[in-house]
Amino acid sequence: MTHQNIKKFSLALVGIIAFVLPLVLRSPTYLHILVLLYFYAYLTTSWNLVGGFAGVLPLGHAAFVGIGAYTSTILFLQYGISPWIGMIVGSILATIVGVLIGLPTLKMRGAYFALATIAFSEGVRVMIENIDFLGPFKLNGPRGLLIPPLNTGLANFLFVGKEPYYYIILIMLIMALAFTYFISRSKLGYYLNAGGEEPEAAMALGVNVARAKLIAMAMSCFLTALAGTFYAQFTLYIHPRSIISLDLSFEIAFIALIGGRGSIAGPVLGALLLRPVSDFSRIYFGATLPGLHLVIFGVVLVLVMIYQPRGLQEPLTRAFNKLLDRFAVKTTMEDKK
Amino acid sequence: MKKVITRHWKFMGILTVLLSFTMVFFTSNTANAGSNVVRIGNIIPLSGPSASVGEQGKNAREMAVEEINAAGGIKSLGGAKLEMFYADSESKPEKGVAEAERLINTNKVNVLTGCWNSAVTYPTTAVAERYGIPFLVPVSVRDTITEQGFKTVFRIAAKDSWWTRDQFAFLKDMEKEFKIKVKKLAFVYENGDWGKGFAGQWKELANKGGYKVVLDEPYPSTSTDLSPVVQKIKRAKPDVLMLVSNAADAILLTNTLAEYKVKLKAIIASGGGHADPSFLKAAGKNAQYIFDIVEWETDVNKPGAKEANAKYKAKYGYNLTGESVDAYIAVYVLADALERAGSLDPAKIREALAATNYRSGTGMIVGYEAVEFDASGQNKHASLVMTQINDIGNGLERITVWPKAARRAGYTPVCPMPKK
Amino acid sequence: MIYILEDAINGILMGSIYGLTALGLTIIFGVLKVINFAHGSLLMVGMYVALWVVSFSGLHPYLALIVVVPVMYLFGYCLQDVIIKPIFKAEKDVREPITVIVVTTGIWYILDNLTLLIFGPQYRNLPDNPLKGKMLEIGDMMISVPKLWGFIAAVSTAAAVYWYFQKTRTGRAIRATSLDREAASLMGINQYKIYNVAFGIGTATAGIAAVTLVPFYNIFPTVGVLFDIKGFIIVVLGGLGSMGGAILGGIIIGMIESIAPQFMTATWTEAIVYGLFLVVLFVKPSGLFGVKYDW
Repeated sequence: MTHQNIKKFSLALVGIIAFVLPLVLRSPTYLHILVLLYFYAYLTTSWNLVGGFAGVLPLGHAAFVGIGAYTSTILFLQYGISPWIGMIVGSILATIVGVLIGLPTLKMRGAYFALATIAFSEGVRVMIENIDFLGPFKLNGPRGLLIPPLNTGLANFLFVGKEPYYYIILIMLIMALAFTYFISRSKLGYYLNAGGEEPEAAMALGVNVARAKLIAMAMSCFLTALAGTFYAQFTLYIHPRSIISLDLSFEIAFIALIGGRGSIAGPVLGALLLRPVSDFSRIYFGATLPGLHLVIFGVVLVLVMIYQPRGLQEPLTRAFNKLLDRFAVKTTMEDKK
Repeated sequence: MKKVITRHWKFMGILTVLLSFTMVFFTSNTANAGSNVVRIGNIIPLSGPSASVGEQGKNAREMAVEEINAAGGIKSLGGAKLEMFYADSESKPEKGVAEAERLINTNKVNVLTGCWNSAVTYPTTAVAERYGIPFLVPVSVRDTITEQGFKTVFRIAAKDSWWTRDQFAFLKDMEKEFKIKVKKLAFVYENGDWGKGFAGQWKELANKGGYKVVLDEPYPSTSTDLSPVVQKIKRAKPDVLMLVSNAADAILLTNTLAEYKVKLKAIIASGGGHADPSFLKAAGKNAQYIFDIVEWETDVNKPGAKEANAKYKAKYGYNLTGESVDAYIAVYVLADALERAGSLDPAKIREALAATNYRSGTGMIVGYEAVEFDASGQNKHASLVMTQINDIGNGLERITVWPKAARRAGYTPVCPMPKK
Repeated sequence: MIYILEDAINGILMGSIYGLTALGLTIIFGVLKVINFAHGSLLMVGMYVALWVVSFSGLHPYLALIVVVPVMYLFGYCLQDVIIKPIFKAEKDVREPITVIVVTTGIWYILDNLTLLIFGPQYRNLPDNPLKGKMLEIGDMMISVPKLWGFIAAVSTAAAVYWYFQKTRTGRAIRATSLDREAASLMGINQYKIYNVAFGIGTATAGIAAVTLVPFYNIFPTVGVLFDIKGFIIVVLGGLGSMGGAILGGIIIGMIESIAPQFMTATWTEAIVYGLFLVVLFVKPSGLFGVKYDW
């Protein structure tokens, strides 16, 4: 077998394992944890389009999650419109908002952009907390919106068990990964990469960096907002302080940086490390030593950044390739390319 | 290159150690499934902004469990001991939901309690309902918690429409007793689930009672400076100020009100931050004469209450509060229901809880006569007492003043507030 | 009219204290080009240190400065030297070390939650605080005395740090590094040493801010978060890296928070602050009083 084939084979294997996992793992607790893991991996993959490829650091993506969640939930609760449709409406809305915010901010350098996105998402949260009714739409201010778990079924995006949610988010994740793979190989991807690393040089070569970044931002916001609807239908309660929180925005960025910013596998690897650390440390220390789980989370962040400032993706790929070298004997020159 | 590789291995080593740690804990914890125990899941905020309240609730539960287990556990279940599982919600609804799933599925709890933050309790009870696991809410005031049509939710504490109703009833009584005229009210509350809920009810009650609302001011509970709000209160010149605050802002607000020498006839607070054990210490003299509505006070005239409080104080260093008493009594109500159910079947426990009529026993240290749930799962008898913070020779303390039947013997409330 | 004046004065005083909390943020950014997300936690640590010093020694709260400032300087110096420096070294060729942002956030989580673990979630205050509730009354106007002292501390700290950066050898080396770190290291300046010193100074100013806050504020593990976001807004308004800008930016925020609630509910002023922040970013990204750095 050649390197390429082994890679394809192992990728397929991971895919198959992910699909049959719910058949083996019967415990809803672990399914719940896995769903959230995929949810974060999905969000980070969407974030990566602008945060990774375009080379800026957005720290306010929770706002787009919130816009998606609120739009579909309001349409569902007040007008009985299926969340599947609401999902698309919310995403379009988030894309418009994202472009409007991106137009002036994407020109900014590093820290300014990061702080601008923080202020934007905090601003959105404050607005929602202060508004009970926006025209005919009931936002319910700080009290949040509850989705009654009635009329379950595919059309209503409401299920009794965890498995449907598991497969929905898994498919969403795979599609987002495929999408980023496609983008990274496209002209847009090269423009973004060039613009992120050497904006002046790229501009000199006639690349419209600003436009490329804006397109990336629009796509990122669209995908992020889709997850907002998923979140609302999964937890059945949205509440401005928890959904549009800096904690969520930060966690997305952390997963990307820990996993390897700008790489396709990075968000998944980051989520695979950080989510279990955060879930299991909370489960085992949350009650006896309050706060310790967040200390552990912080320590993991600091350690990974000290030892692997480019994220886990690089060393893991290296280790994987080394394994391949050992097992794949019939390596030809062609495969090495 | 060599350096890179050693770094790499060092890092991988650390990572493996960390991950294996979590795995070890994870396997060890699910293994010890004792046979003769009742598993009780508790979801409360142990870190984050409401950690202080969570800690009090946890301590109260621990004390009750120790007492029940020491007295022989649940006799109808062959002396089964109560085993507590605590989960930290960090005051976040999604964490509460995830923890409820975990406690039900992995720890196989027979019953759940929690979550203090209404925003967490609200979606979390839905999880319990889905699995048919009884959920006993010691205190979370939002009305709608018991109005979702859920069969498995029971609440010990009063709901917010009762709190506000009693605050206005108290105000009327004070007007009569002290012959003062109250016309203008000011409402100042934290801009959250809780504050908004109270304010909505206040507005209706003020309209009905013929009061004039001169200020209706929500403020973010993350405020670093409340003097602008205090200035607004001062300039609106209300007779009575009504408050809903968390701990940090309650302290800040009380101190700032004193600094600006705001003249009021009375301040009526709504428990929470004003009832937090740190509040009296931190606000000191400035807290004098504040009226605060709570579920329970240390001077309640009920056998066993003094002893329970003394024991709690000796153990944890501060007094029981209304909210921790709710948690304490909740464990006793559960034990009582389990005793009657004689089974760990959630449906049987639910039946027993629904039939609860808990009138006496070690846990019954509240002022009202019984815990009995109506069809929606709300404790019918839950009532509130108004306390006043004052110093009658033993330093500042909280003294029950209302309803009149519960008033501490020999104490006359100070109303209107004297000018300092 | 008198009301507006009274509110404006309170806004200026409180705002200058916000500026003081943000001063360290702007110093650290100016030199290291890094947003220090742990700054609020450093402020929190400073408040706990001040609380211990005062409760153990029984000194006047402001005398705690004698202990707090050196302790905080050392703490910041070591933090940078031990934890942040290795990342800078690994990321030498990167223009904006984003990984450092993650590390400072990690430090934030660690500090806040270690404090919770060790000291518990209770709210604490200074015991027997001689400044508690002290007010200056001028006619009908009331001015808080500890806030007035906070104003004086903010202005003099900013002036002192400015003087230090202009006049001393180390100060000039710090400025040189902040303008162009390659050129500075070619001139024989040890870039990492300068980073340590700058981080130490930034942390020490957080200590000063902590001492001015302690007499009228609560102390609890998550207190830093309340000042964190405000600090970010202030430094961008004032121009990242500008010390005078930080104080002035703070005063602007303080004025909005103090005057705006007289015309709307206090919750909306938050929205105004964020709105103003975004407008300034769009119109003048270098901040109101910012200097343009090449970075």
